[in-house]
Amino acid sequence: MRDAFKDGFGRVRRAPAVVIGLWISTLLVALPSALILHGLLGDHLGASLMAETAARGVNYDWWNEFLVQASGLGQTFVPAIIGFAAVLDNLSRLADNRALAPALAGLVATQIVWSMFLAGGVLERLARDRALGPAAFFSACGVWFVRFIRLGVVAAIAYWLLFTQIHPWFFDTLYPRWTHDLTVERTAFAVRVGLYGVFTALVCAVNVLFDYAKIRAVVEDRRSMLGALAAGTRFVVRHPAKTLSLYVANVLGYLLVVGLYYLAAPGASAGMLAFAVGQVYIVLRVMVRLQFVASQTALFQQKLAHAGYVARPLPTWPESPAAEAIRP
Amino acid sequence: MGLRRKVWLAVAAIAFIAGVRSPAPLAAQSGEGMAPDIASYSIDATLDAAARTLTGREVITWRNPGNVPAYSIRLHLYWNAWRNTDSTWISQLKLAGRADQALGRPADEFGWQQVTELRLMNADGSAGPDLMPGFRYIQPGDQNPADRSLAAADLPNGVAPGESIQLRVAWKAQVPRTFSRTGAIGNYFFVAHWFPKLGTFESDGWAARQFFANTEFYADFGRYDVRLTVPRGWVVGATGREVSRTDTEGATIHRYEQDDVHDFVWTTSPDFVESTQRFEPPSLPPVTMRLLLQPEHRGQEDRHFAATAAALKYYGEWFGAYPYPQITIVDPAWQSDSGGMEYPTLFTAGTSWIAPRGSNDPESVTVHEAGHQFWYGMVANNEVTSAWMDEGLNTFSDARVQSIAFTPNYRVQRFFGGFIPWQFRDIPLSRATDDHYLNSYRAVAERDAPSTPSYLYWPGSTTGISYSKTALWLHTLERYLGWDRLQRVLATYFQRFRFKHPRPEDFFAIVNEESGRDMTWFFDEVHRSSNVFDYAAERLESVEVASRGFTEPTPGAALTFEDTTNKALFRTTVVVRRIGEATFPVDVLITFENGEQVRESWDGRGRWQPYMYEKPTRAVSVQVDPERVLLLDVNYTNNSIATRPLASEAADHWTLQWMVWVQDLLLNYSFFV
Repeated sequence: MRDAFKDGFGRVRRAPAVVIGLWISTLLVALPSALILHGLLGDHLGASLMAETAARGVNYDWWNEFLVQASGLGQTFVPAIIGFAAVLDNLSRLADNRALAPALAGLVATQIVWSMFLAGGVLERLARDRALGPAAFFSACGVWFVRFIRLGVVAAIAYWLLFTQIHPWFFDTLYPRWTHDLTVERTAFAVRVGLYGVFTALVCAVNVLFDYAKIRAVVEDRRSMLGALAAGTRFVVRHPAKTLSLYVANVLGYLLVVGLYYLAAPGASAGMLAFAVGQVYIVLRVMVRLQFVASQTALFQQKLAHAGYVARPLPTWPESPAAEAIRP
Repeated sequence: MGLRRKVWLAVAAIAFIAGVRSPAPLAAQSGEGMAPDIASYSIDATLDAAARTLTGREVITWRNPGNVPAYSIRLHLYWNAWRNTDSTWISQLKLAGRADQALGRPADEFGWQQVTELRLMNADGSAGPDLMPGFRYIQPGDQNPADRSLAAADLPNGVAPGESIQLRVAWKAQVPRTFSRTGAIGNYFFVAHWFPKLGTFESDGWAARQFFANTEFYADFGRYDVRLTVPRGWVVGATGREVSRTDTEGATIHRYEQDDVHDFVWTTSPDFVESTQRFEPPSLPPVTMRLLLQPEHRGQEDRHFAATAAALKYYGEWFGAYPYPQITIVDPAWQSDSGGMEYPTLFTAGTSWIAPRGSNDPESVTVHEAGHQFWYGMVANNEVTSAWMDEGLNTFSDARVQSIAFTPNYRVQRFFGGFIPWQFRDIPLSRATDDHYLNSYRAVAERDAPSTPSYLYWPGSTTGISYSKTALWLHTLERYLGWDRLQRVLATYFQRFRFKHPRPEDFFAIVNEESGRDMTWFFDEVHRSSNVFDYAAERLESVEVASRGFTEPTPGAALTFEDTTNKALFRTTVVVRRIGEATFPVDVLITFENGEQVRESWDGRGRWQPYMYEKPTRAVSVQVDPERVLLLDVNYTNNSIATRPLASEAADHWTLQWMVWVQDLLLNYSFFV
């Protein structure tokens, strides 16, 4: 497990283009909405002197006034966006299964589809542990996109069950039942933490199965996604200690990044510095996600005794006589 | 009466004789006889904690304080508001879309009261005529036949003004799972508005109404002598002072007494951690503060005492002293829903297991509820019809205390099911807007006029109108008249209506009297209408003075066309507007590039007002109401215009922050891909 973790870390480190590409992709996905929000804020402030304090830090009077009249995307402009509260808010939203604002749902859907498209290229890059070049990278993206959509349907069903059936059962049925007559907040919190733990374990279990399904699909060039899922599940079942401990190590890596951001996140008055530190945090988060994939791929390849092995041959130019024909 | 109290009384008397009014007008204190004894109760009640039932007997001594005879009585049976799902109380929740929790309860979580005996007593103390044959439920507020929260019974001979009668009442009740801050959860019982209680008889008759969800209470002052039987070993907190404790088999009888109050509340639990502190400032009479704390909040003991002491100190210095020798602070059990409520000499605070210092709780709620001892406890307005008189005055007052005693006070948001707080050190809350809940007012600004009887408010507008709007207009008055004058207004109002039932007009008359101005126009706007205030700066322009047109050098000479521009002189045009219907005089401040400022006073009555200046400098900004005197202005952003606005910079600043939040959110969701 330790070797896989280290190997995965090395692979991520050796793939700066992927890290930067994924970071930029999150920026690009967020950018159109950010421009809309920028317009909303600017329009509301207009020529007002209130902008003078709002430009330097929090003008909470104006903020409240803005929120009262805001709709759509404007309603997502809440104090929880400031500094480390943003991380708490987003984690809490997942843990408590709070609905996304409709204005954000489209954004998240875009990010999910885009990530699904990139997943094949990212996996091949990390599995081969060598630079692919844009053509090969996007070729892999294209090859795996359709297959991962098929796998994604199955994953969506699993996550749908978790978030629309299991989560409400845990937190809207069991939690109120178990805490109905409690008068001690600490005890109720312990109950809730326990339920968070169990639910998180279920989510992670599903996540790890689908991670290994994608890894086996790419490394072994599998066409059947159900077959890949079965193969991934077999791998996890046969190596529970290693896969679990590796996952936990990666989760600890995530918590380390979150902890660093907790210490480093500047306040609302920092402006560009807050953005810069935030982007460093986002880059580290991207690296952590890649670390999950890379280390799990390394673990699987270790078991194959073929580090860097990927069954599918890299595409070579020219791919067809027709392409050859258009060369000068 | 202790030595300290005597010394203090002497000081107060000298100060009063000398005509000292500010900053601390004080009245003579005494432990008894401050209020007229109109409705006094001697109660015996037994709690069966396991069965969650309460049985009681009481003798009510009532004196007719009105100008007309009383031929019937009114009895509040508040717990019947939760006897069925068609009660007026629950119907109001349905109207507001907030009744789900009430409708789905099992039978043992409902609450009810049933009178089993009601009779008049003879002068010699023997049983008199049985009043049960004439006992009936009435619904004067909404004619809802399903409501059983108010009863009437005919008196055989009537009670003349000034005459007294005694009534004997027996009843049994089911303690509900908490509704409206009364009830039980686990071993925690908070027992409020729990005994059959007479309505208030005003000069022309009974002023009693049923229990409405968005109103509170109204009762006459009297003496309470209450004996509570609870399981042995359980701690009891109650209105007044415990005078005896007698153990019986498996139970203990706690006897509490209190004069000069208009309600009696109690709580019991085996889990309370009890502590006391003395409040002993040099200028006010001493008070014993008794705190009943939840074990998990042990670390917050000092914060509860400090907040209570701050309320007693500042309210005492500003309005008049707290006259009772004790006050009990109850820290309610988690999810008991009994926090943040006031009763005579006892109130419930409310906090969380994790409550960062420098944030609202428990200080805010503690100061507020302690403050209600003054606005509600002593100045006992009718909360059913004029809730703003205590809630609004108290919100204003508690925010003032907090701004002095507990700053900075940062915004807190709770995550993960409400358990984990995050304190925004970037957002210190302001007294003027946040502590008066301006946003709460904005949301319902046009829903109801405060002059509407409170029980007829839209169920969702109580907080915004009774609490926020009142606090905002009081703070506006503070800024308009000055604190010294407003403090005199409030102190005079307190002194004059202590242990009485003031009406809105009484308060307005004192404002006029103490301010030396007729403020009727102001109360027409803020009290008798639901109009909103919204002033705006509409135009600011500075251009070189230019003139084009025909001139006539001498009368009769040929007209010549001239086009002149004076590059050293700028014509500044300012237009300000009144967008809202309500009016208030406001200042308009124009600032020029050379630092010069021009201040105009606008009566604010017209729909718009232009101002023009010719100066050798351009204007850089205009502000309507620059000092923000008018805190009720629902849109202050439009009050100013700058010629070099920073909106784009502000939007940049905040969009970049928002981007990080969104990117983090996106990464959370794409983690599963």
